[in-house]
Amino acid sequence: MQDVTNLTRTQLDALREIGNIGSGNAASALAQFLNRKIDMAVPSASIMDFKAIPAIIGGPDKTVMGIFLKVMGEISGRFLLLIPEKTSLKLLHTLIPGCEIDTPLKMGELESSCMREVGNILAGAFLNALSVITQTPMLNSLPSMTFDMAGAMIDSIVADMTAISDKVLMIETSFIESEEDLRIHIFLLPDPASLQLLLKKIGVV
Amino acid sequence: MSAVIPVGMAELKIARSPEQLVVYGIGSCVIVSLYDPKSKSGGLAHVMLPDSTGIDPKVINPVKFADTAVPALYETLTGSGAFKSSLVAKIVGGSEMFPPTEDFENNIGRDNTEAVKKALKKLNLPLIAEDTGGRRGRSIEFDLESGIIRLSILGEELREI
Repeated sequence: MQDVTNLTRTQLDALREIGNIGSGNAASALAQFLNRKIDMAVPSASIMDFKAIPAIIGGPDKTVMGIFLKVMGEISGRFLLLIPEKTSLKLLHTLIPGCEIDTPLKMGELESSCMREVGNILAGAFLNALSVITQTPMLNSLPSMTFDMAGAMIDSIVADMTAISDKVLMIETSFIESEEDLRIHIFLLPDPASLQLLLKKIGVV
Repeated sequence: MSAVIPVGMAELKIARSPEQLVVYGIGSCVIVSLYDPKSKSGGLAHVMLPDSTGIDPKVINPVKFADTAVPALYETLTGSGAFKSSLVAKIVGGSEMFPPTEDFENNIGRDNTEAVKKALKKLNLPLIAEDTGGRRGRSIEFDLESGIIRLSILGEELREI
């Protein structure tokens, strides 16, 4: 098994590049269905201490919408979208005519299903791009969604990846809607067991 | 103002009145608290996984695993002057943050809770209260003066155990 802490700079650069392509594809999907211009922050691929992840989105007690999907196939992993409250409300108000809820806590079945579909489309677009590059089919599971503290979501997702090491490989990027500073954070965490194959497929073993 | 000490994932901290220990954003992790009302001292261990079996002892962080974290917390506390016979335990967390779908289910929260209970039993530490399971994240403040744990949960009233 490839140890995440031994990745070279070249390997990390290559992982960042696939993050770039995947999130580029997801950003165009989002731009298309919102009919707005979406900018993308430069993605990062980094080996992070899992304890540092919540700080990226404002601390462990920051409440956000989380949409979680499993990546399935020969290359497997976890895909997480963290969407700040402001962005999630904007998405709901834009996508559901007449939707006026003022907090994600009041989401009903229609709103939940709409957000899960957003997750589905973004993950699908991201993973499609990766499947093409790696020539390995990568599918996403049905999305599961919650609105809660970021720290609580992250501990649930990374726990079993960190039995031995405190480090996880994370490809992270965010979208910014140009006029309003609406952000969406995308995290891809490849399973340590399929990292070697992923590196091989992108030519940086 | 008394000191407020945060406890992060896979960390163990002990404190004494008037200090407080706090944990933000607990999901599938389980927080084990031990408290000695006589010395008004206690501690928390932030457990992430149920079982350390098979992990190389040279690289292990004992606080990560229920079976090793509970003895570690017990020894740290008794080593710093808490009375063994008056220690009581409370546990918080172990939720399942993401509802299961057809493709996956996640039982880490439940497994953590069961493993912590088993480890407490092994050391004959009485579990006097718990707030575990469900689908919500929790944040807690552990008051070392009273031994009370205050829980905040998004969209719910504050409560104490």
